[in-house]
Amino acid sequence: MKNIALGQYYPAESPIHRLDARIKVILAILYIVCTFLCKSALGFAVLAFSAILLILLSRVPIRTVFRAIRPLLFIMIFTAAFNLFLTKGDTAPLWAWQVTEKWTVQIFEAGIYSAVFMVVRIVVLILGTSIFLTYTTTPIALTDAIESLLSPLRVIHLPVHEFAMMMSIALRFIPTLMEETGKIMNAQKARGVDFSHGSLVKRAKALVPILIPLFVSSFRRADELATAMECRCYRGGKGRTKMRVPHLRFADFAAVVLMAGFGTGLVLLNYYGIGYRM
Amino acid sequence: MATLSLENVSYVYGQRTPFEIKALDNVSLSVREGTVTGIIGHTGSGKSTLVQLLNGLEKPTSGKVMLDGVDIWEKPREIGKIRFRVGLVMQYPEYQLFEETIRADIAFGPRNMGLSKEEIDHRVSEAAGFVGLDPLLLDKSPFDLSGGQKRRAAIAGVMAMRPEVLVLDEPAAGLDPRGRDTILKGVRTYGRETGSTVIIVSHSMEDMATYCDDIIVMAKGRVCLSGTRDEVFANAKTLTEVGLGVPQITQLALLLEERGVALPGGIYTVEAAVAALKPLFQ
Repeated sequence: MKNIALGQYYPAESPIHRLDARIKVILAILYIVCTFLCKSALGFAVLAFSAILLILLSRVPIRTVFRAIRPLLFIMIFTAAFNLFLTKGDTAPLWAWQVTEKWTVQIFEAGIYSAVFMVVRIVVLILGTSIFLTYTTTPIALTDAIESLLSPLRVIHLPVHEFAMMMSIALRFIPTLMEETGKIMNAQKARGVDFSHGSLVKRAKALVPILIPLFVSSFRRADELATAMECRCYRGGKGRTKMRVPHLRFADFAAVVLMAGFGTGLVLLNYYGIGYRM
Repeated sequence: MATLSLENVSYVYGQRTPFEIKALDNVSLSVREGTVTGIIGHTGSGKSTLVQLLNGLEKPTSGKVMLDGVDIWEKPREIGKIRFRVGLVMQYPEYQLFEETIRADIAFGPRNMGLSKEEIDHRVSEAAGFVGLDPLLLDKSPFDLSGGQKRRAAIAGVMAMRPEVLVLDEPAAGLDPRGRDTILKGVRTYGRETGSTVIIVSHSMEDMATYCDDIIVMAKGRVCLSGTRDEVFANAKTLTEVGLGVPQITQLALLLEERGVALPGGIYTVEAAVAALKPLFQ
């Protein structure tokens, strides 16, 4: 269990790693907006190219990045199929198949375009957010960034700090609980529990000796942590200062300007589009 | 009953990731049948990884773990059988108790072995006896017991499978002196009465000196010293170098010798020191 990478953070030295986490959250949001600004083939080509550029810039191995896409492969195929068969164009269908008298399956040129566009959009969406957020930002930096970005909500008495604290505690305890699960699993395996063989019911039953100790220990840990925090006079966010105060650098501003420029560029490209426009 | 040995075993965590750590580096060792062997080493010396290799919880990256001369990974599908033959008590085993009563929890291992009800009952009371657990406690919930009692119940749970090799990872960690003695004595009794081989992992030199026949010293994922207790403690200098040192009482004896007090060698326990020093005062 020691070989789990927390979240998917990939430690490396890159311009994207060095950006301020708050800026990266903003960049990720802007990039998502960008993917929706594209309407033409040229725009999508530029978008796909920008995603590749981002991967190269982040120095995260391409294979690692594409691992983020695998869980969504099914959705992508589904979306592509829907767009391919259900988009109606104004030109004559490229291919048609009369299934029954009343029902024909048709594929239009527009359908092919929109299927490709949707797949590119989903891939870039996932790549963009995982490059900016999961791969290059540590979970703790991310929580800090979210706290900082949500801090205006304090005006309406939303306990932003408390939410952020809860989130970072939850993140902090993921590896601990994973390790604990590993230990308990090993301990029960040593007493002859078999998780990988037998019927489904049998395997489900084999989880009881793991879940009960895990529950007990989570409650124990929560209790101990609360006591420890109280002992150090924790009383929420009031008057609390930070150990690591983030400072915006020139590169951070430049990145936002660049991203905004990129979005504007994409909008302009829509007017010079060749072929189908969404 | 059974001999356990390691041949050129290496173990790497997170291979081919940025987090790669080499926990064990070409370790070869063998444990004498029917003895109590102590594995000692600093935090991060690879001892906890080592014990998980002994009963096949982890598979070595390279090298072999041999039980009675047979590689335990020869038939990977039958690794479960190895786990009944090599019993492992992990660190802080009290956190793995889950049944409603202590009795049911101790019976969990034997039940997984598919033993008859009579045999299970017999083994539960026998194991509880080894660790000195009051029979009245057996029908209580694990949550009603003290930390030390829970620890003993968890150890009994592994003993009840009557493994030929019993491996314990820090069985006495965090207990008061009386708790440690009860547990370590129980473990030794188990070894003697069933003829099983016992392996205790610890970083307490005192416990090792009192309860072990053989000692293996680990440092930085390698075997640094191994041999009988006397052989290993004779290397006080090497032990100090790896940050372990000799038992305090041995250190006292060595200092006294330095100042010209004639003492017999091999003082590793307080009892031995008392016996050696008493005549000098009379």
